[in-house]
Amino acid sequence: MANTHTDEIRNMALQYQWMHNADWTQMAETGEPLVMVKGEGVRVTDSTGKTWLDVHGGYTCVHLGYGRTEIADVAYDQMSKITYFPQGTTTIPVIELCEKIAELTPGDLSRTFPGSGGSEANETAIKMAKAYHRRRGESGRYKIISRKGSYHGTTGGVMWLGNNATDFSLSDFEPAAPGMIHVPHPNHYRDEYNSKTPSETAIKCAQAIEDAILMHGPKTVAAVIGEPVSQPIGAPVPAPEYWPMVRDICDKYGVLLIIDEVITGFGRTGKMFGIEHFDIHPDIMTMGKGIISSYLPLAATTMSERIAETFGSDNMWHAVTSAGNPVAAAAALKNIEIIENENLVENSKVQGEYLKNGLTELMKKHPIVGDVRGIGLLLGMELVADRESKEKFSKEVNIAGKINKEFKNNGLILQSDGNVITVGPPLCVDQSDCDEIVDGIDASLEVVEQQLGVK
Amino acid sequence: MITEANPQSPETQKLRKSSLKHNWMHVRNWIEMAEEGDPLIIKEGKGLTVIDTDGNEWMDVNGGYLCVNVGYGRTEIAEAVRDQMNKISFTPRGTTTEPVARLSKKLAELTPGELERSWLSTGGSEANETAVKIARAYHKRNGDNSKYKIISRRGSYHGGLGITTWLGGYGGQGSRVDYEPAPMGMLYAAQPNLYRPEVPGSTPEEITVNAAKSIEDLIIYHGEDTVAAFIGEAFSADTPFDACAVPGPEYWPMVREICDKYGVLMIVDEVITGFGRTGKWFGIDHWNTVPDIMTMAKGIVSAYVPVAATIVTPKVANAFAGEANIFPQTLTFGGHPVLAAAALANIDIIEKENLIDRAAELGEYLMEQMQSVGSKHRMVGNVRGLGLMTAMDLVKDQVTKERFPPEANVEKIMADKFAQRKLIIRPRGLLCFSPPLCVTRAEIDQFMQAVDEVLGEVETEMGISS
Repeated sequence: MANTHTDEIRNMALQYQWMHNADWTQMAETGEPLVMVKGEGVRVTDSTGKTWLDVHGGYTCVHLGYGRTEIADVAYDQMSKITYFPQGTTTIPVIELCEKIAELTPGDLSRTFPGSGGSEANETAIKMAKAYHRRRGESGRYKIISRKGSYHGTTGGVMWLGNNATDFSLSDFEPAAPGMIHVPHPNHYRDEYNSKTPSETAIKCAQAIEDAILMHGPKTVAAVIGEPVSQPIGAPVPAPEYWPMVRDICDKYGVLLIIDEVITGFGRTGKMFGIEHFDIHPDIMTMGKGIISSYLPLAATTMSERIAETFGSDNMWHAVTSAGNPVAAAAALKNIEIIENENLVENSKVQGEYLKNGLTELMKKHPIVGDVRGIGLLLGMELVADRESKEKFSKEVNIAGKINKEFKNNGLILQSDGNVITVGPPLCVDQSDCDEIVDGIDASLEVVEQQLGVK
Repeated sequence: MITEANPQSPETQKLRKSSLKHNWMHVRNWIEMAEEGDPLIIKEGKGLTVIDTDGNEWMDVNGGYLCVNVGYGRTEIAEAVRDQMNKISFTPRGTTTEPVARLSKKLAELTPGELERSWLSTGGSEANETAVKIARAYHKRNGDNSKYKIISRRGSYHGGLGITTWLGGYGGQGSRVDYEPAPMGMLYAAQPNLYRPEVPGSTPEEITVNAAKSIEDLIIYHGEDTVAAFIGEAFSADTPFDACAVPGPEYWPMVREICDKYGVLMIVDEVITGFGRTGKWFGIDHWNTVPDIMTMAKGIVSAYVPVAATIVTPKVANAFAGEANIFPQTLTFGGHPVLAAAALANIDIIEKENLIDRAAELGEYLMEQMQSVGSKHRMVGNVRGLGLMTAMDLVKDQVTKERFPPEANVEKIMADKFAQRKLIIRPRGLLCFSPPLCVTRAEIDQFMQAVDEVLGEVETEMGISS
């Protein structure tokens, strides 16, 4: 019976659902997709009763872990009161959430435009930055500087920010948005400048931003956007010089600094926000994912009052139906309360260090691991064909396909997108979960190295 | 009926103060709101009625942004959300969940023709962004690298993100000048507005046909090998000039033919018109035409939580089958089990309570009332709509169809007069009436009577009494 039901749902998904980055013809052959029916903590159970450890915690977004009935209860209670709002009005949970965000975020960030996803939040940030300059009589400032390898979303205005053309091509969607400027990423392991030290990498990459501003003309640049630590390229942590230098450069040229905390926010890096490791304050900060542990869609774009006052009597024209949903706001407040009460930020720091040590240890046994990096529970491993030269595996090797198959055999929900494996479990992981993750990756690497004949 | 509002309690004042300081609300100015005792803070709702923090009862005539189709306070949806959250609250990478698979199938059943495969997301803007990306990628997969331009209609609205901000649009209020420069390849065709036709015609048929022809003209002028898609709402919704301008029967079949002739994909935006709003499941059903891509949001879940979908035909989807052809796009909240469960519960209510037929029936009743009130007032230039998606075009002069100048402040004056009667209606050039589909005749009578009174008062104040 169980299998018949699974097949029914699977076939439904294969025929009618367009899954993220998936090929339904291939999935049909390999017995995919799995149908997940239950979640608890860091584990999920599929329709055949098999349990998996979700090393990605969704898309690095289920901070609390699965199965927190408190969130379900709060969502139910709020839905029984009011689920939406008449035009031009607001609701209590939305107000309380905006106040809470002002309290949690660093510096003078104080005014929040709620949204329903990280892409939307970054789109809103960019619109705000452009509108801000225009209101100050600098309508020529429209260009946005981002770092190669970063990721800020998938909708029209943000998909051209950052990105890594070798792994993920955007050529499908050309022509690109105007005014996109890309600078090197402060990733010491793959530094474009081949710097000797992480500090040198950081300084050169920050300097590259100033060079880009001067080359294009300061009066044409609206904002710099970046994640404190960028996940898609395996979470390289910039040296301490980087962000303070970027902050100074932005101030020097009147360019706004947008910090994207969609992934790094709400404890992921062992502090409430990733940028707190670097002791600077952005002009605009965006949030998503962990703000609500993805129980419902929610995101936020928060601006400093200094900047926001430009809009006090002349608001920008921007509306999204799903923004300001009271149910999501109520769920987010409960989520933040649990993060605080259960010290999940501290747990992220402690377990993150433990897990990173475990992964780093694997480098001793496994020559194809070139680098292990990250901070808190935002970790990454980079696989290489040769550790000395840092040469990547060629496409024909299909390293991602090989390793992903083994992760699956070891009961891990974990997928490499290329040469980088990102590890970002829920913040509620404990030591034994971390051991299980390291053991699973260890066993997977072992098999793949044997297949490749490097052992 | 004008009623006194309860005074603001200290608790309300505290919340208001916090909101004014920290909450960046849609298109409202916090300095102005501070002066006027706004924003109103809503704490409960049932049907069309909402109650604020001081116990005042209001009628939310347009159900949020024309999105609360089943009305407020349906605990069935709350239960579906709670139950699903307690099972699994997110879809892990590379897997699926039962509600997501079931919702995808349900959408294929409800939508017209061969529309079959859904990319699920969380808002109309995202759904339309996805549609445009699919259209461009589709042509590239077929070797047509130069087809990237998108045709939309002046006066339409398709969202607020990077590409969708620039689809449709109108000058003046709602200007996009803040966000220049525009993306490349945005082309604008005429809106099939029979009352304010852009391309003139002496009959409704001629206006409709000319508006459709303006699409073909654009394709020919720009070159068919440069145009990826045409996008339009089945008919325009809450925009200042073209709201509820229903094109004649010739329009969509002609557009379909033009798109086919030049290999242009046809995207129909049902974000507002979908899920019973117009008296059929989808607005385009009135024209018996099947698009290549259709987008949905709002009514799909009555905005209880954020849900949207982009559904395509097998012809479109097949371009992305096979490992080398994967459509590269991820949205964290796309394909979310809790949202899908909520949408299924919402659709179940629409079906079980026959809200589609109800929208058709009460829409006719509403139209009769609007015509009767409209005929009494010189500032009502035109009354139009379909199902429960209707509007009155407000004019200073019925012959020239001229609008009141912004300095006359007519919209604000009217909104205040509605507020005195505990009705939430915010006019924007037009007066839109798109109530939840559970609206009753008595409620229609109640708000139409207020409309009658308010129009009378404004006409007297403006010196244009009949």
